[in-house]
Amino acid sequence: MITDFPTSPLALPDPAETAAELAEFGGAAMIPKEVRRTVFPVITKEDVFTMLLAQRSDPDKVVADFAQEYRSYVGAHRALPTASGTSSLHLALIGAGVQPGDEVIVPAFTFIATAQAVVAAKAVPVFVDVDPMTYCMSAEAAQAAVTERTRALMPVHVHGLPADVAALRGVSDRHGLALVEDASHAHSAKIGDQVCGSLGDAAGQSLMADKNFPLGGEGGIAFFGSDDAYQRAVDFVERNGIDYGMSWIAAAFGAGQLKRLPYYDAIRARNARLLAEALRETGLFTPPHVPEGHTHAYNMYRIGLAPEAVDLADLPVWAVKEAVHELLTAEGVPAREWQNTPIPCHLPFRERTGFGNGYPFTLNPAAVRDHRPADFPNILAMLESTVVLCRELRSPVEYERVTRYADAFRKVAARPDAIRKLVAEREYVRPHEKAARLG
Amino acid sequence: MEQYDTALVLSRVMTSGIVMSIEKNDKELPSLERLLTKCSGRLKAVLVNSRSAAVHAALTGQDIVHGDQAVLPAGLGDRTRAFVDWLGVEDAAGPGSTSAPAFDLLTLTPANAADFARSAAESTAPALVVDLTGLGFGPAGAVLTDDERIWARGERLKIFGAFDLRTMWTQQEAEAGMAPGVQFNYRLSPLVAACARMALAQAGSRTPATTGGSSR
Repeated sequence: MITDFPTSPLALPDPAETAAELAEFGGAAMIPKEVRRTVFPVITKEDVFTMLLAQRSDPDKVVADFAQEYRSYVGAHRALPTASGTSSLHLALIGAGVQPGDEVIVPAFTFIATAQAVVAAKAVPVFVDVDPMTYCMSAEAAQAAVTERTRALMPVHVHGLPADVAALRGVSDRHGLALVEDASHAHSAKIGDQVCGSLGDAAGQSLMADKNFPLGGEGGIAFFGSDDAYQRAVDFVERNGIDYGMSWIAAAFGAGQLKRLPYYDAIRARNARLLAEALRETGLFTPPHVPEGHTHAYNMYRIGLAPEAVDLADLPVWAVKEAVHELLTAEGVPAREWQNTPIPCHLPFRERTGFGNGYPFTLNPAAVRDHRPADFPNILAMLESTVVLCRELRSPVEYERVTRYADAFRKVAARPDAIRKLVAEREYVRPHEKAARLG
Repeated sequence: MEQYDTALVLSRVMTSGIVMSIEKNDKELPSLERLLTKCSGRLKAVLVNSRSAAVHAALTGQDIVHGDQAVLPAGLGDRTRAFVDWLGVEDAAGPGSTSAPAFDLLTLTPANAADFARSAAESTAPALVVDLTGLGFGPAGAVLTDDERIWARGERLKIFGAFDLRTMWTQQEAEAGMAPGVQFNYRLSPLVAACARMALAQAGSRTPATTGGSSR
């Protein structure tokens, strides 16, 4: 029997380790290799028991009960459980009234499924830049992209930080557009007391097992602000023979997990706070920006770099980022890129074959652009100057682990000489010059 | 499959901690692929999360896309025909056509799962769509084929599918036209895959019943 139970505990942090030689140059790693694994999702005996009980129920009821319970948690009007996040986004767009050939404005920084869901709805994604502080869709950029054929705005609460919904709602109201949330990173994220998924006219959300709120493998859920929107989505799948149904196994897994979601959210928030305090002390690193009144879900934790704070202003920030990435990875803290180029520069949106023979892009050629990374300066700047913690912080990691993460950042920030040395020795390239990565 | 067996399989996979299809060390999806290819005699399997997804993968795998025509299998239900129409693919066969279809479709249930190998052997289409939903673990399907290109294109229909995992999630292609323009998240859950595999394995090993009851 294989198990995800850790083989040994992580040692408590020791201040002497922070001043020791970097792991890249032969020192001891802040997180030793044998204890690097973070467990996610956490699966308890209650989860197993809930699953076994579900086996004895009507499968449709298991799925419906789960959807009802989570809809209530989110505070959405109606909910439709689906097989995946992409299908939930597709149905959210359909519910919002998106028709073939319509334009849907999406951020150029997101997971590719956001834009692929627009194509699935046979509409054309129109890509815009993000806000330089929050990395969510810029309301100003969205406003500038509106045309007579725009039907919806589809902001993404990227990494778990709610987008500026008030400003985006202003744009959608001015032009009579639907506001459709991509809440795939934003389980339990809030603006005030309102949970993401209940903020727009419709929303889609991935519930795959790598999300803050994981189901048993794959799953998603679409939320609707009105009965009409919900019914449009239901009629659509029925009319077109599309099977987007959720497995009762996924739902039963989620029913167990939902009970503990607030607990895990609290641990993520605690860890994010602890790490933010440490990062601010380093000068080199900056924690994610969270606007007043927003609750970040921390599905990912994007960390900024300020080379000028440690006398590295003469180096290109993207090279500093690469060196930092290398040094942190050696310490056992895999701070990644998570995306290295804007979505319209990925293969499916460069070739734009869609369903085949260019459909649905052929329905609206005026909406189609051949984009270059430089078309999205805020995204480019972000990609070149930030690193991301993913599962390492999404997992409800223990206090000693997050403290060691903090120490690893302190250790690297204290060694601008090492960063300079790596930049001189390596042949780093800008993120967007590498092959486009899905994640 | 007995409830006890399902419980055992679900407990085993949950205890392993690996319930995501995008985990490199997931073993449930490859195990189901192996069983399906072994039973069917086909070389390759694309696992997906529904019957319509499998139909989509079977057509896309053959580069039959929006604006194209395809001969559909005789007796295809209205729901699946509606889905093919939604994909923008026209039925090329008229009434009474004897042309070979682009795919065959098998719908497995506990009652007919024991006959899977025999039914699959009768299929002559380049792609065999297998609907596993009737086994009772939620929507699930597969495309079985001997054609490497059908498999490769079908796999690429899934965002973060097996292909993306192997390339460390880059979508760079050595060969133009391999990646479909629109991709869906058609990935199958390892938990569902594990249950489906157990159900098929047990059905395949079942001794045929004789008169008067089960010989199990």
